[in-house]
Amino acid sequence: MIDPAWVSGLSALLFVIGLAGAFTRKNAIIVLMCIELMLNAANMQFAAAAVHHGDATGWVYTIFAIAIAASEVAIGLAIFLAMYGQHESITLDDVNVLRN
Amino acid sequence: MAGSGSTEAVQSAALEYAPYIVLLPMLAFPVILFLGKMFNGNKMWKEGLKEGGLIALPVMGASLLISLWLITDFIGGSGHADTAGWTWFTSGMWDSGQTTVTEISLGFGIYIDHVTVMLLFIASFLCLLINTFAIGYMNTDPINDNRNHRFYAEFVLFCSGMLGMVLADSFLWLFIFWELMGLCSYLLIGFYYERPSAAYAAKKAFLTTRVGDVFLMVGLAMLWTLFHPYAGAGQGALDYSVVFYEGNIEKVAASSSGTLAWALGLMFIGAVGKSAQFPLHVWLPDAMEGPTPVSALIHAATMVNAGLYLVARMFPFFGAEALHGDLADLAFIIAAIGGTTAVMAAAIAFVQHDLKKVLAYSTMSQLAYIFTGLGAALYLANTLHWHEYLADGTKNPDYYVNHAIVVVAFGAALFHLFNHAMAKGMLFMASGAVIHEVHHAHHHLHPHDDHHDESPEELLMLANYLHDSDQSVFGFFNSIDLDQSGEIDTYEFQKALKDANIADLPPWEMKRLMAAVDMDGNGRIDVPELELSLGRIHLASLAGDDDHHDHHDEFDAQSMENMGGLASKMPLTATAMLVGSLSIMGFPLIGGFWSKEGIIANTWRVALDDPRFFYPAMCVLLGAAMTGFYMSRMWLKTFAGSPKTEVAAHVHPTNTWIKTPLFILTFMSLGAIVLASMGFTHWAPDEYYEPFFDGKKSFVEGFVYEMEHAFANSDAFFFVLTYVAILLGAIVGPGLALSLYGGKLDEGEDSLPWFAPVLALNQMVKGRYHWDNSSFAQSGFATALENRLYFDHYYDMAMLKIVAAFSFKAAEADSSVIDGTVKTIERTSQQLSTKLRSLTTGSARDYILMAALGTLVLFGLIWGVVA
Repeated sequence: MIDPAWVSGLSALLFVIGLAGAFTRKNAIIVLMCIELMLNAANMQFAAAAVHHGDATGWVYTIFAIAIAASEVAIGLAIFLAMYGQHESITLDDVNVLRN
Repeated sequence: MAGSGSTEAVQSAALEYAPYIVLLPMLAFPVILFLGKMFNGNKMWKEGLKEGGLIALPVMGASLLISLWLITDFIGGSGHADTAGWTWFTSGMWDSGQTTVTEISLGFGIYIDHVTVMLLFIASFLCLLINTFAIGYMNTDPINDNRNHRFYAEFVLFCSGMLGMVLADSFLWLFIFWELMGLCSYLLIGFYYERPSAAYAAKKAFLTTRVGDVFLMVGLAMLWTLFHPYAGAGQGALDYSVVFYEGNIEKVAASSSGTLAWALGLMFIGAVGKSAQFPLHVWLPDAMEGPTPVSALIHAATMVNAGLYLVARMFPFFGAEALHGDLADLAFIIAAIGGTTAVMAAAIAFVQHDLKKVLAYSTMSQLAYIFTGLGAALYLANTLHWHEYLADGTKNPDYYVNHAIVVVAFGAALFHLFNHAMAKGMLFMASGAVIHEVHHAHHHLHPHDDHHDESPEELLMLANYLHDSDQSVFGFFNSIDLDQSGEIDTYEFQKALKDANIADLPPWEMKRLMAAVDMDGNGRIDVPELELSLGRIHLASLAGDDDHHDHHDEFDAQSMENMGGLASKMPLTATAMLVGSLSIMGFPLIGGFWSKEGIIANTWRVALDDPRFFYPAMCVLLGAAMTGFYMSRMWLKTFAGSPKTEVAAHVHPTNTWIKTPLFILTFMSLGAIVLASMGFTHWAPDEYYEPFFDGKKSFVEGFVYEMEHAFANSDAFFFVLTYVAILLGAIVGPGLALSLYGGKLDEGEDSLPWFAPVLALNQMVKGRYHWDNSSFAQSGFATALENRLYFDHYYDMAMLKIVAAFSFKAAEADSSVIDGTVKTIERTSQQLSTKLRSLTTGSARDYILMAALGTLVLFGLIWGVVA
């Protein structure tokens, strides 16, 4: 059995990689992937904690998070399509319609 | 309906009907207005009823008939003051410090005395004649088409104001009707309100008289305060029966005669404004902007008499024994204002070229004569013991002498009012007839050519289309604004014109049309632009298209420079004008002579007693010569000599509606001696008055008395004075005019026999004594006179310097302090929100950063709380 501390550490690492990616990358799809990465880091932490405590609640949360993440991706991709239709690009720097 | 007051007399039946004198015209006002609105343009309304003229006529006729009935009743009765009252409503008033409630009732009452009778006749008689004249004048001028009902409605309301003011039994009602007249005067002067000059003149007249009215109101308030304690139950403190009651005057005089003098002085300022006396005279010449003779006549024969009436109404105060000598200063002020105006207005009349303006200044000057005469009469009444008993109850030894002096002095002023009203009414109507005919002759000679090419014809058609289909500009705009953008472009406009069957224009034509409408040049038309363009067309068509006012730049139908030689073209008008001029001049035996001599004599009588009065006395004597000059000048320039323009040679006699009043008034002026012999010069409102009608003096005796006093006065001083006045007024003044103006008529032009001596004399004097007056005409004084002695200039400047400067300061305070506070709050919050707004960059990355930072902060907080 792996020590949960290692799992927590891995999930933290994944989360930071995702966060850094979301901050630095310009391509919307990569940013979306980074967000997914962060979500999965959280899922991993839930799963590890569920195993550690022997409690199913963590698994339940994980399943909900995956479901939400899936719908989020669907919406996100739809937005990107629409964005591409308008701007002919999915570079985030080009999109600032909410400015001011 | 019990009469009240000290001089209760037998109630006459006519008194019960007297309110109808006022009510009939007042009720005719809405009737004419609404019928006019309903049937405007209807043939029956236009031809049959003369657009309301024939509704007004019988109404004014009925007013005159009741007035005459009332007057004959009054004269045939006792000749004593008489009142009748109708209560309108009663209410309580609680004086501070009292435990009882005073009952105050407000009602309308009729007060009849000698002054009322005089003014009542003048007003109702002239109103009827003006009405007759107006039908001949207004309804034959196409510029008035379809709006004459407005004129007649305002006219009857005006008449009802004048009649009501004369009949009212209290100063309060006098003031109410006074203001009603002010309003109607404003409306009538501004009848052609689309002309800026008329709108300006209306405002000027309204505001100038308002200056006087404020003082009048303050004076009335003071009078109310003085007499309020002595008003009985059911009496208003301003009722004549209260203020003229000798017992009340005694009580007021004992405690506060100075305040009373101030109150009367302030009321006099109101009269100065209404009667256009110096320094509130500036409105009268401009009032000639109204429909030509009619409004002018109102401002010469009826309304301006209101001020004189108010001063004459004050007679009981001046005549009261209790106030003996207290009001002499005020009487002097009245006479001095009169004297100043008489000379000043006459001097300005010297240089006027406009026929109506000469008459306007003549009106001012003659009203000033009456003021001087009233001032002298009031002075005499105030300083002489003229009652039968003295204040201490003993018999007055000088009663007969002094009483006669006061009665004759007051009578002379009032009789001049009568003569002037008749003559000036006639002069204005005659001048209106001349202007009317010159105008028509000009129109006939120079048929209208279209000057209105600036506005495209399509727009005119569009304006007509909208008018015919009864659409508003806004509604039409919305219907053609196909994309609802709030602006129409060339295409939409073209389509609209096509749909309305106005024009199907090619693009280059549309460009021209768009250029005319599109004022800001953005290529599209918005609602204000369309409205302005169409409105401009509407105004142009009102002011000129179907009339001739576009010719006014080139041809002035009112200028005497364009007349001359009209005696042969319009003999009746020329006769009326001649008689009127002679009456105003005080030519022996005609009209104003009988009263003007009296005014001059009485002013000098006072001057012998009080040296201050030498000023008005010299003024009236000088004014007599000046009157002789300018009236003769006016007649000669208009009617004698050769026609100065082609137009003047083609003038025709006028129509019957216009001729009738001229005819009647000519005899009124010529017949003044009849009235004088009947005792009209003995016109004082007191109970000791002994008129001809009492049968104490026969007509022949009266005639002999008048002739004797006029031409063979037993007093050497007055004998000389009379002949000096005749010399100045009837020989020197007219002689100067005869030597300068006029001349014989053209060959082949014949006229009525009575013009022959005038024209022959004119030719002889002009031939023998003609002198060159060009040096005077070009002098600075003449320029000053032409500029009306710069009164308007200085008044305007004072307004600019004081009122406008104050307004600018007030506006500054408003924008910097009041608006400033609000605007600072608004500006600060806006700046703040702009700063806050810059936080939202619109970049997704920044939002993520913010979310992350926010989470960290939350996390930190929770950590802090837990730990």
